[in-house]
Amino acid sequence: MIGKKLGLYIFLVFSLCAAQAEDFRIYRTPQGQSFNGKAVGYEGQTIILADEGGSFVKIPLSSLSRDDQVYLVESVKAKRIPQGMPKSQSSGTSVNSASELSRMDQNRSSTDNAARSISPNGVELESTEKIRRPKPPKKELLRVGSFFAHLPVPLGVSPDEAMAKAKGAKPKPGELIDFDRHVLPILEQKCNDCHHAPFDRSGRLVNPKASLRFDTYEQVMKGNLDGPVVVANDLDNSNLYTVINLPEDDDMFMPPKGGALDTDQIDIIKRWITEGAKPSKSSVSPTTGGVPNANEPVSFNHHILPLFEQRCMECHGAPYVKNSRTIKPKAGLRLDTYEWVLKGNLDGTIVTPGDHFESTLFSVITLDEDDPEIMPPKGDPLSEEQVTMIKRWILEGAGEQPAAVAADPNAVPKPKETKVVLNQVQNQPTLLESLARRAKIPSRTQIAGAEKTGALVRQLSERNSLVRAEFSSFASEIDDSALSAFGGIKNNISHLDVSRTRITDKTILGASSYPNLTWLSARNTMVTDNGLKTLPSLQFLRYINLSGTKVSDKGIMTLATMTDLEEIYLWNSEVSEKGVEMLRKSLPKTKIIAGL
Amino acid sequence: MNMSINNIDELGRREFIANAAKACLGVGLMPMAGSYIHNSVKALTPGARPAKARHVIYLNMGGAMSHLDTFGPKPNNPDIQGPVKSIPTSADGVILSEYLPLTAKHMHNAAIIKTMVTSQGAHEQASYLMHTSYLKRGTIVHPTFGSWVSKLSGTINRTIPRNVKIGGGGGGAGFLEAEHGALPIGDPKSGLANSKMASYLDDSKFGNRLAMAEKLNTNFSTQYQQKQVRAYSKLYEDAVKLMKSEDLNAFDISQEPQMMHDLYGTSNFGQGCLLARRLIENKVRYVEVTRGGWDTHDNNFEAVSMNCGGENGIDQPLNALLLDLEMRGLLKETLVVLTSEFGRTPNINGRDGRDHWPYCFTAFLAGGGIKGGTTYGETDDQGRTPAEGKPIKPEDLNATIAYNLGLPLNDVQYSPSGRPFTLAHNGEPLMDILA
Repeated sequence: MIGKKLGLYIFLVFSLCAAQAEDFRIYRTPQGQSFNGKAVGYEGQTIILADEGGSFVKIPLSSLSRDDQVYLVESVKAKRIPQGMPKSQSSGTSVNSASELSRMDQNRSSTDNAARSISPNGVELESTEKIRRPKPPKKELLRVGSFFAHLPVPLGVSPDEAMAKAKGAKPKPGELIDFDRHVLPILEQKCNDCHHAPFDRSGRLVNPKASLRFDTYEQVMKGNLDGPVVVANDLDNSNLYTVINLPEDDDMFMPPKGGALDTDQIDIIKRWITEGAKPSKSSVSPTTGGVPNANEPVSFNHHILPLFEQRCMECHGAPYVKNSRTIKPKAGLRLDTYEWVLKGNLDGTIVTPGDHFESTLFSVITLDEDDPEIMPPKGDPLSEEQVTMIKRWILEGAGEQPAAVAADPNAVPKPKETKVVLNQVQNQPTLLESLARRAKIPSRTQIAGAEKTGALVRQLSERNSLVRAEFSSFASEIDDSALSAFGGIKNNISHLDVSRTRITDKTILGASSYPNLTWLSARNTMVTDNGLKTLPSLQFLRYINLSGTKVSDKGIMTLATMTDLEEIYLWNSEVSEKGVEMLRKSLPKTKIIAGL
Repeated sequence: MNMSINNIDELGRREFIANAAKACLGVGLMPMAGSYIHNSVKALTPGARPAKARHVIYLNMGGAMSHLDTFGPKPNNPDIQGPVKSIPTSADGVILSEYLPLTAKHMHNAAIIKTMVTSQGAHEQASYLMHTSYLKRGTIVHPTFGSWVSKLSGTINRTIPRNVKIGGGGGGAGFLEAEHGALPIGDPKSGLANSKMASYLDDSKFGNRLAMAEKLNTNFSTQYQQKQVRAYSKLYEDAVKLMKSEDLNAFDISQEPQMMHDLYGTSNFGQGCLLARRLIENKVRYVEVTRGGWDTHDNNFEAVSMNCGGENGIDQPLNALLLDLEMRGLLKETLVVLTSEFGRTPNINGRDGRDHWPYCFTAFLAGGGIKGGTTYGETDDQGRTPAEGKPIKPEDLNATIAYNLGLPLNDVQYSPSGRPFTLAHNGEPLMDILA
């Protein structure tokens, strides 16, 4: 078998002698494979490339990326590439078949070398097996009503517009016809069954009918051997328009199966042709699938999406059904369309247009290589150019269509506009914030231990070392013994609420040993003057509620030295108006409330 | 040989346990998931900051209060203002209508949002939107805001419900667990109806009955181990706990001294406010008091003056509530909100009344976490539409309350059909009125 193939094509050329006008360039396939070579000839739709070693490779035109196809077609038109197989140059040394054989084996065995996986051997079947068209998207067999079956609509886009885009629906009145958005979906729906890109079906190449392909703008405009099917501004000579308007029983009527196009669709095609049969705006970029030049704005469809396809979609692709189970994208994050990328997942968005620091997408690809959360988790991290490309795309506004001007990835980020300036004072740490720094965050066991006697102990906020301790449930069953459980969190208690319990002075005396106490409520308890004695040791106490207690004029004078107190509540206690007046004199800044 | 093949892919015991933990407990996922949480989102997660308020008393003016004749007067425009004058308040530059002289004394503790707007102009739909942040739909019943608060804030007092609604219906938990729905109290004077144990029932008999009921339920609850079923039995447990608890007294306003009754007045709304205060004192999270009678299509000015002043008006109870909370030292941790489902037309109609006006109305907020003495936004000369400041939607008001309570605005709860909902829809907290 191998011998036969070798016998068919073994060509040997020294690259020096390939004196064609063509230069070496990198050819790419839509799968991201690349091949460094130059075109030296063509046969029909097959291009013959020579690599640096001088070997020839036959590659079907269709398996190359769109840009390469455009480039090659132009080169052929410009007669830079001769027709037919180039003759082997006799100046080179001939290589015997044995060494060639071994080289091929090497190529076979090397799996990591994408460039080399294009067989240097010219057997067409071989190469089409290796280079396939991208697989058709996995069929979505999602349950009715499944979350993933819904169409994602980005914020700020009307559902109609998103639907129109997904379904290729009607253009708005007065809108110019866009090939990608309006025409291509019709062709895909109605013509693509026969006029598709050649693809491989169990080892056999299936070519489009009448050699006519409707899968890209270039192919539509190219037509087939009978000539172009679309002539801009000329409906009479545009065969595409003619055949869809024939009577249905005509032999040439298209589409032959599945019913005629409806009038709206015909109208779209008619308008597109009369408007000049232009390609979609921004549908061509010479750097598709790679990294754009520094002065070229990044395009989502041409640069970002191919990168995602290559590196991210194995995990973050569309959900699909496998063994009757729905395989969902990891972390509920899909990166297969623009809408999904912008939508992010339940944890929030991953892209903040214009701010790469805020964009999770950017931060996860720039983590250290050994960081467990770096993305992609498998394989090498993204290259520096790729990271810069994503950064630039975010800086350029993270649009679906490329921005007008390329952003400078190294520009100094603009100072952020602060949204609402609440209180200038808030910049200074509040008392609670500074106290929180002095204490250690209590462990769960500590809190559970403190709750043993019926208290509710909760941190003021997440990862805050301060806690509020209160006896709210079954308050009337709580007595002085309850506070014994707080030994482990003495430093953490900033708020203590013993209101409505049966505690006595003993508890308040005990509470005076909580160094960070700022808020104390003993409302409706049996606390008396004796309980207040040690309170002045609480230097951070700001609020004390003694309403409904037995404290009197005598007792509250112990508070007179506590000038930092902000609020004192004495209503319904045994304090007289005179006593309140006295206290007010000593604490002029304090809010003292003793009655209506 | 056999052994070695078997062992090729076998995990070590530790690996197995680690994997099992990852798979079953989500241990492996959590740190990862955390890293995706956006910074700005973090600011809104619970516990990012200490809560400013812990309780809410929501005074719902059913039937839609005339904003022009209460909290948003236009003193320079007699055409739309009719006979109503404005009065200064305890806060500089803040004016109220003359119908609210007592409330005016508290404006230094309160804020007014003047640019409330809503999308609904019919009472039921607008009230639904105010209470749930979502539009009323045929396919789903959204939880009311009180239920969200109950669900997300955690309990303080285990023996009594977290969410109580005084007067008026509604307050349901929607698709949340039934325990979060509001405990309805029709008449504040009679307190919690049917909550006392029957006189002929002694403890042992009662215990027997409970045990019997539990036995009957066992089959069902083991077969259907669902949230709702568990919640139902929890409701029973809580009811029993409540029945025996001293906290039940919280619902009994007859225990208040006469002085308090005098302060709040004898009107239903006044007694409702008194009950609300008692409940807050007992650590209920969310109390809503509804007062109807604001649908003043006819004879607006007389009706509004009756609704505000006098023994049936809101001025006295509101004054009493704010005073009472302040006196007890509870105002700082209690947020008092007074608003209605929409406003009323600036144009006075042929019957001397005002009709529905969803394009502009007011909300009054006082107490915990509120920057006292502020107003937000300004309306045009006629009080028709917001002219300064952004329009504040019901969602935004609810988000503001929730933010003040330290609740997570981005916490997603799923309805039985798997749709995601949050407590304030997509509302944004209005920081301008928060301290």
